Amino acid sequence: MNLRESTGIALGAIRANKLRSFLTLLGTIIGVASVISVIAIVQGLNSFVSDKLLNAGSNVFEIDKFGFITSNDAYVEALRRPDITLDDADALRLSVPHAVMVVAGDNRVTRVHYRNKHVDGVQIRGRGPGYDVIDDLTIASGRHLTDTDDTHRELVCIIGPEIADELFPGMDPLDKDIRVGEQTLRVVGITVPKGKMLGQSQDRFVIMPIRTYLKIHNDRESIVIDIKSADQASLPIAVQEARNILRGRRHLAPGRPDNFGLTTADTWMDFYRQLTGGIFVVMIGMAAISLVVGGIVIMNIMLVSVTERTREIGIRKALGARSRDILAQFLVEATTLSLSGGVIGILAGVGLALLVRLATPLPAGVSLSALTLGIVMSSLVGIFFGSYPATRAAKLDPIEALRYE
Amino acid sequence: MLIEIRDLHRVYQVGTEEVHALNGVDLDIEQNEYVAIMGPSGSGKSTLMNLLGCLDTPTGGSYRLKGQEIAKMSDDQLARIRNQEIGFVFQTFNLLARADALHNVELPLVYAGIKHEERRKRARETLELVGLGDRMKHKPNELSGGQRQRVAIARALVNRPSIILADEPTGNLDTATGEDIMAAFRRIWNQGNTVILVTHEPDIARHANRVVRMRDGKIESDTVNEEVVQADASS
Repeated sequence: MNLRESTGIALGAIRANKLRSFLTLLGTIIGVASVISVIAIVQGLNSFVSDKLLNAGSNVFEIDKFGFITSNDAYVEALRRPDITLDDADALRLSVPHAVMVVAGDNRVTRVHYRNKHVDGVQIRGRGPGYDVIDDLTIASGRHLTDTDDTHRELVCIIGPEIADELFPGMDPLDKDIRVGEQTLRVVGITVPKGKMLGQSQDRFVIMPIRTYLKIHNDRESIVIDIKSADQASLPIAVQEARNILRGRRHLAPGRPDNFGLTTADTWMDFYRQLTGGIFVVMIGMAAISLVVGGIVIMNIMLVSVTERTREIGIRKALGARSRDILAQFLVEATTLSLSGGVIGILAGVGLALLVRLATPLPAGVSLSALTLGIVMSSLVGIFFGSYPATRAAKLDPIEALRYE
Repeated sequence: MLIEIRDLHRVYQVGTEEVHALNGVDLDIEQNEYVAIMGPSGSGKSTLMNLLGCLDTPTGGSYRLKGQEIAKMSDDQLARIRNQEIGFVFQTFNLLARADALHNVELPLVYAGIKHEERRKRARETLELVGLGDRMKHKPNELSGGQRQRVAIARALVNRPSIILADEPTGNLDTATGEDIMAAFRRIWNQGNTVILVTHEPDIARHANRVVRMRDGKIESDTVNEEVVQADASS
């Protein structure tokens, strides 16, 4: 009924004492700001990761010895499995009709030298033909590795732009010989930069043909096979075909579990979502705590306000205000307070999200539902924590309230 | 009959003791009377005023206002009666400090559920009636004591109540201003309103046409104020 008046009183009180209001609303502000920014950042992270994880196309899956290991027992069990070999890759290439590409590969990390310079922690990849599609790589200068490089086990490699910059400052790396471990390789190509993912550089690698890689590393390595299906729809068929081929090669009886790992992008996304879901829950829990604290502070300030304005309540009752009018007035005031905190919190949260977007590659964006959530939450805080002071105000006896000094 | 009070009792429980603030009061007040209720402190006049103003309900007896029994009403019904039938004027003015004169006068209309435009218009008219047409936007602390009490009178009048109930309305004012306010009450009465004045000052009580004296929770005397009535008759 006197909504405008109650809102006005609350806003006036906020303006009249800015510092006190700010401190009163701090809990709510922090609570709402963290909810908004956490949602924005997690959503940004999700779309970033799914974008990056799926950038080779979500119709790629991976076969390796281990698969997706989440426990130590599973790891110990997987260690006893037979290795994945180039022969497996060749068999799959021949016998999976829905696969358009089968790429064998393996990785390790080592130091790379050029003359007196070196770079540590470089990812050394052995890759079969088709790696440019699976790894999503484009050549900036020079050339890609070829089938012939692979079959002849040529001692050639392509390098990421970061390696190029660090080993060859101011020089053209093409046709230079770099030393990878004990082996000398000739640089035939440099790739286009890909930037960072989750703080990890994606441009810090040396790629050589897989057969060269295996020759250097004694052949006895379990490799990884990436398989690309024609499209998303045929992915499950290709997965099933590949599984059948491998089980056949390993003479697994029906009903026995796979003794190899088979991972799709979905597996990673599921795991990732679980992970961020956990972070999400923890952060929302923390936000909830600050909202509760904020609510208690608002309740406290409203109790003070009810006491200070006992006489006003008496006057209003004498003039015909019913208990529910007084209740409504103080509820509206408490809600206006918490909602102001909510609005400031939303602004802060949006600001934080924008900052994250500017400072990092995460596309942190504030969704309408997050804004609505912020508004609804802060209103609920006001209504919930305002109801006790408002009830106290509504229950005041008009005669005693009028007499209050 | 506007007010019919029969054998009214109000008992307060103070600790284990029962205090009989009102102990069998009978009182009739007609439309457009001007009554002063007098008595020393502890006589029960404040209790009677609270009951007359529907701020409180009796523990025994009957109070009919325009034929409606007040004693059995719920809090919400009492609030409605206060809003529609009673106009309070207090010793300490009891204006809302943060609101300007106009808004203070509007307040009863807010609780009566009257629309904003109509409220504004009626509050403005009533303030002009008490001579404060040029003070509408002033806050109480920007007004003198007399002006504040006139705002309070305007607030009491704005809902066109059946009773104007004034509790020591000049208690916080100097004598000259007090006389002004009493003259204002006289005008209000002249316009057909019923005025009930609660006071312990004989100087104030003598403005009324009828004086009810209280003692120990009972009516001690109920007399016509000959002086005033004669003066009125001769004028």
